[in-house]
Amino acid sequence: MSQISFESIQAKVEKGERLDAADGLALFLEPDILKIGQLANMVRERRHGDLTYFNRNMRIEVTNVCVASCLFCSFAKLEADSPGAQTMTLKEAWKELEDRMDDPPGEIHVVNGLHPGLPFSYYEDLLKGFKRIKPDIHLKCFTAVEIHFFAQHYGMTHEEVLLKLRAAGLDSLPGGGAEIFHPEVRARISHDKATGDDWIQVHKIAHRMGMKTNATMLFGHIETFEHRVDHLLRLRALQDETGGLQAFIPLDFHPDGNGMKNLPAPTAIDSLRTLSVSRLMLDNVDHIKAYWVSMTPKVAQVALRMGADDIDGTIVHETIYHAAGSSSPGSLGYDELVRLIREAGRIPVERDTLYNVIREHARSAAPEASVKVKDRKNLALPVVS
Amino acid sequence: MMEQDGRILACGVQYLNARPLYEGLGQAPFSDKIRLDLGLPIDVARRIAEDEAHVALMPVAAAATIGDLRFTRGAGIGADGAVRSVALFSDLPLEQLTEISLDLSSRTSVILAKLILKRRGLSPRLVGRAANEAGASIGGTRGALLIGDPALEIEAQAKLKLDLAEAWKEWTGLPFVFAAWCSRPGQVTAEHERMLLDAKERGLLRRDEIADAHAVRTGLSSESLRSYLQNAIRYEFGDVERKGLTRFFDEAARAGLLPKADVRFSDDPAVAVAVPVSLDGLLSRAADGERLSASEGERLLAEARLFDLGLAADAVRKRKHPEGVVTYIVDRNVNYTNVCTTSCRFCAFYRPVGHPEGYVLTRDQLRVKLQEVVDAGGVQILLQGGLNPDLRIEWYEDLFKWMKAEFKLGLHALSPEEIIHISLMEKLSIETVLQRLHAAGLDSVPGGGAEILVDRVRRKIAKTKCTSEEWLGVMRTAHHMGLRSSATMMYGTIDTARDRVNHLIKLRELQDETAGFTAFFCWDFQFEQGTHILPGETGTHLYLRQQALARIMLDNVDHVGASWVTQGPEVGQVALRFGADDFGSVMFEENVVSSAGTTFGMNALAMEERIRAAGFKAARRNVRYDWLTEPS
Repeated sequence: MSQISFESIQAKVEKGERLDAADGLALFLEPDILKIGQLANMVRERRHGDLTYFNRNMRIEVTNVCVASCLFCSFAKLEADSPGAQTMTLKEAWKELEDRMDDPPGEIHVVNGLHPGLPFSYYEDLLKGFKRIKPDIHLKCFTAVEIHFFAQHYGMTHEEVLLKLRAAGLDSLPGGGAEIFHPEVRARISHDKATGDDWIQVHKIAHRMGMKTNATMLFGHIETFEHRVDHLLRLRALQDETGGLQAFIPLDFHPDGNGMKNLPAPTAIDSLRTLSVSRLMLDNVDHIKAYWVSMTPKVAQVALRMGADDIDGTIVHETIYHAAGSSSPGSLGYDELVRLIREAGRIPVERDTLYNVIREHARSAAPEASVKVKDRKNLALPVVS
Repeated sequence: MMEQDGRILACGVQYLNARPLYEGLGQAPFSDKIRLDLGLPIDVARRIAEDEAHVALMPVAAAATIGDLRFTRGAGIGADGAVRSVALFSDLPLEQLTEISLDLSSRTSVILAKLILKRRGLSPRLVGRAANEAGASIGGTRGALLIGDPALEIEAQAKLKLDLAEAWKEWTGLPFVFAAWCSRPGQVTAEHERMLLDAKERGLLRRDEIADAHAVRTGLSSESLRSYLQNAIRYEFGDVERKGLTRFFDEAARAGLLPKADVRFSDDPAVAVAVPVSLDGLLSRAADGERLSASEGERLLAEARLFDLGLAADAVRKRKHPEGVVTYIVDRNVNYTNVCTTSCRFCAFYRPVGHPEGYVLTRDQLRVKLQEVVDAGGVQILLQGGLNPDLRIEWYEDLFKWMKAEFKLGLHALSPEEIIHISLMEKLSIETVLQRLHAAGLDSVPGGGAEILVDRVRRKIAKTKCTSEEWLGVMRTAHHMGLRSSATMMYGTIDTARDRVNHLIKLRELQDETAGFTAFFCWDFQFEQGTHILPGETGTHLYLRQQALARIMLDNVDHVGASWVTQGPEVGQVALRFGADDFGSVMFEENVVSSAGTTFGMNALAMEERIRAAGFKAARRNVRYDWLTEPS
């Protein structure tokens, strides 16, 4: 058990002092999550008051074919001719955006498998096509793991890959693929893709080129609390150096249909605790995101009082988490996101990818009459114990 | 709330001693401005709580319970010394009594009696009874608290009598106030209050007439009643009475019987009443387990930050259950029939009589279901169904006997609505129905169908269902018979925050009386296809706030459960840190549509893991919340 008292950590946070690894571990071991949540909330309100960000985005996975064999992924080692393997033609990918041009998103978020059989021009053309359809769309595409794969596969440096993609329209990098940086864990869950150091290197280069990026951590599988703290500290060191991280997003491990299906998924308490500790440890990262696809909208809503200031976006067609058994809906309507934030007593702010404010909503709405009927067939009496 | 003709509504109590205060209101000029309505004390308090009257002759205990009310200076019902109509009667000296029957018609008098017994270091068993039964129960080591006419009737022949207002005077040197005109801030004008006082002056002149009329009606002596109104009852409410009432509120709050309350007159200078109690102060009182008033509950619900409310509720939970154990039960919800006559607008389950999809489970179907529960290590059946007019009481009795003979399972069955339905259909009293079912095997009563215990809401969402008082009445009867029950609340239709707080207060008051509720669960209206109303105020944050508030307000209920079935396992787990010490039931999902059998909503292992991950030890329980496994 840790020797560090919660009160001493609290005192540090109140004075704005930086927490160290031992503090981080003590926070993970503190049984009372309300206390941690309250402290993280203080930091969040210091930075953002009641403002809570979301955006109008869409996700596209152009291919799920992947050479990597990550244990946590339901698409691991998926070959192009396997059942369930899907790779969009460029036209199909572009159509996803074209179909939404009557109510267009502000951002496209592309994350893919590591496909061995596509030419690099496929990715360049993909970006160019999106920009052609909507020149002001923000393209947040390809995780550092993909960038690293492109570099190896097509014989380029990280920098060359990023420059070419930027020339094709890339605006920023998403935070995926970070998993757990520590080699003890990474060697076991995803040994055949970018290492933690590679991931950090790619982001460092992107930051130097003036690109903003996000960062994630996939937690709740075989890693220990020490590994989580280590992961957060590596990100903090990167941010001290470059300042290029916009948001940190803790991601819950979901076990269905992947190589770790015998492990239980982290429960809500662990999700919330991890988010709060992240807020407290990452004192140099502006935004902590409660990614509702991973947490479920209801838990994400609670997280808005435990350190999170962002709830991601409307998202359309999320497939990665859903393949791993996430019970969250595939997308949330704009109004639903606003309602979720309002009910949490916060002010909804629609942002663009770079956190420029597009629309700040009123704190509360005039009562709305329209309610969508959900098709649920739970035909039992209300349960009373 | 203003009456259509521009008058305000004043509500008086139908008791003799109150009559001089409102007797004149029925005449001009008062009747032009004020409409008078009469009711029992409990009804009078309810009307102010539920915003159905502007001003009422309010028993003072109810005023403290509602909180933040204003008294009209100058008119009250009290006594400075003996009052005669509120007294403990017995054959033996108080010190030798082992039991005292309480006439529960006046909560104020019951609390006064408790304070005086406590002051004298006495702790006889207290049993609530109807007034006539309470009087008849006097004898040997059993005494009774009688109030009003029953007290006046018995005073001549009683062997020993302790007049409570007299005892109060001896103790504190102060007068006692039982009831007074009372309103929410801003509901009545100075002119209205002047009229109440003028009417009182008129009424006081007619005291002898009022006494004589009452004598004719009741057969009590006219002389005795005249003296009662002229000498015993004190209609003043000034500074010295305020002092007496303030003392009473302080003593009752210290004993945990009433929320802490100030005595405020509507004409108090603004500075004296405007000092706001800080929210932090209120939260720390909540965390300390102090009894809070309805208006304080409303304020917490409206203003407290989610986590502050959670921390206060968690502190209350910790004090009540310092072991850090969260329990759960392995049981099964069996809906024996979906045929129902109530047509509640929020229900997608029921089918009307004669509908082709209507069903009643057969013994064979039940046997399979019950055996599955036994095989899964379950300890109980939660048996509920629609109000099916084809099922007579014998059907239930046979079913219960059969279940008890064939299976070793607890029977947590039939919500109040179903009990009332059987009682009406069979023309039997609630008590008889419960006794027969209890004899056949009923172990405890589930608290479903409470919805919101405010009739304005009930009439809208479930108009053919029982009233709040009927629901509470079934629970009262069950508790008196020794049957325990749970209590619930379904909110999120047309209810307001005030309605939800009033619901909690009604449960708290019944619990003061019977101590029969084991636990409280709440959830929001589950909107789905087939329901006929739209959701009102719902959401995860509101659920957590509402559950936390319940833990704070229900200071006399042992357990509060988190409803994961409605909120989902994730939010349910988080809710454990918002004042809950129970995680409800491992659920065998009822799948009425397919006959594919059963699946677990969440199995015992998953329940325990979630409990532990929330920082608690997990233990299985039975319906009485006894641990069936060592917490781990």
